[in-house]
Amino acid sequence: MNGLPFFDYLSAYRDQIILRTEQHFQFSAYVIVGAVVIGLLIAVLTYQSGIRGNFAISTAAIAFTLPAVALFGFLVSVFGQSLFGAVYPPVVLYALLPVLRNGIVGLQSADPAVIDAARGMGVGPWRMLWQIRFPIAWPLILAGIRVSAQLAVGIFAIGAFVVDVGLGTYGFEALDNLGSVNTGNEAIVCIVFVALVALVFDAFFVIVRYFTTPRGSRA
Amino acid sequence: MPENQPPASAATDAQPGVPIELSQVTKIYPGQDTPAVEAIDMHIPAGELVAFVGPSGCGKTTTMRMINRLIRPSSGTITIGGEDVAGLDDVTLRRRIGYVIQQIGLIPHLSIASNVALVPRLLKWDKKRIDKRVDEMLEVVGLEPGQYRNRYPRQLSGGQQQRVGVARALAADPPIMLMDEPFGAVDPITRGRLQDEFLSLQQQLGKTIVFVTHDFDEALKLGDRIAVLRQRSVIAQFDTPEAILANPADDFVRGFIGEGAALKRLHFERVDSLDLGGGGEDGPDSVDVSSSLHAALDLMVGKGLRSVSVHRDGRPAGHVDVASILARAHRDPDAVEAR
Repeated sequence: MNGLPFFDYLSAYRDQIILRTEQHFQFSAYVIVGAVVIGLLIAVLTYQSGIRGNFAISTAAIAFTLPAVALFGFLVSVFGQSLFGAVYPPVVLYALLPVLRNGIVGLQSADPAVIDAARGMGVGPWRMLWQIRFPIAWPLILAGIRVSAQLAVGIFAIGAFVVDVGLGTYGFEALDNLGSVNTGNEAIVCIVFVALVALVFDAFFVIVRYFTTPRGSRA
Repeated sequence: MPENQPPASAATDAQPGVPIELSQVTKIYPGQDTPAVEAIDMHIPAGELVAFVGPSGCGKTTTMRMINRLIRPSSGTITIGGEDVAGLDDVTLRRRIGYVIQQIGLIPHLSIASNVALVPRLLKWDKKRIDKRVDEMLEVVGLEPGQYRNRYPRQLSGGQQQRVGVARALAADPPIMLMDEPFGAVDPITRGRLQDEFLSLQQQLGKTIVFVTHDFDEALKLGDRIAVLRQRSVIAQFDTPEAILANPADDFVRGFIGEGAALKRLHFERVDSLDLGGGGEDGPDSVDVSSSLHAALDLMVGKGLRSVSVHRDGRPAGHVDVASILARAHRDPDAVEAR
């Protein structure tokens, strides 16, 4: 097992690694946006009822427990090796739970007295949602989005099992070529660069949090 | 209603109250046999503070919340200034009615100024007018605008928060205020001070106020009239504090008044309603002519005196003694009966 030293491997495959990191970053971003939009939409539609809210959270939680590789495998058998058929839907599904759960809990978390006083002074239902419930829920929602982003980046790597995009490919190549010279390098590239992408997203959300948390909500 | 009037300059040219009329108002919650509120009829005169007093669960809050339609009556009509509230859009109606609750409910992520500006913003006042109004209202409730405008609710004490709650309710100068145990959650000293300040504010504003409380002494202190309510919001007695103390309708009302009705009545008689004798030597202990007989008697009992000097504008104006207070209390035979 005398492959290239790690940094030589990096420079030898520089262009390919950059391309795959970019892909991973870009496609994870699509997944995050999808999960946030769908998650918040379901949260807004269900938060008012305890039963519907719990049903939505439970369903997402059950979906979360499905083994990723099995789900990818199943979808490939239905849709073929398609990014839109077999990769995005399951990754969005996994990333959905944190944003959905925090969205519902957050929208429900406003003090009933705040809602009663606002309603009693003529704040209508839409304004109540966007100007009162949503800002109160925002720190919690953002925390959910951060977890969703980490999940999206991590599980998108498994998506390479189905379609050859992103950094996951290095991981699967490492497994496929166990014992060959560059196995170690491939595995390390997969791990390090996936972690880097995840860190970039997280740093982004930390900045978003700083600039969007109302002063009154800062602890 | 004049939503786009120029802003009233703080308390002085505020929009006066309008009468509220409840007629046969009933609320039956789904799945319950007995109504929460049963066929209540009540005329609340313009500019008066009516205190709803009654035991927990008697329907006093439900009755109040039907006025701004936070709860919809099952039957009956409510009119405000002659206008049926059922004919108005809920949101429009509520923007014309101040609303203060015990838990205050300031919006946590908004500054004190933005909280006070809530209704003026909903009514789309221009920014300059809102800013001016916010400062006026903060001054009215005794919070220095420069110091408090940009703070957040959680940085304020409970008493300060409720001052903001009152400022917020008054900001758009509504003719009517609904207040649900507004001073119930603060310590007794702060409560007394808030009550005193609110009373003098109301004397300038003349709003029509429905004030829910379970504290009869608070009702006595603040109410122009008191409605003592029993279960299902049935009116046991609806009258001025003096009249209720003098002639409680029945044992239920008597139970609410509690001990010491005769002493409580002395709260409503001023020192200058007695013959002060004029001039005379000035003792070390004195009361103002506007003090209540209760305050004068309290001073005498506390100091072990039979009489104290009375001052008008800081100058001696005579004396008041125990005998004349007792004579006043006995002049009206109801005072004895009320015990």
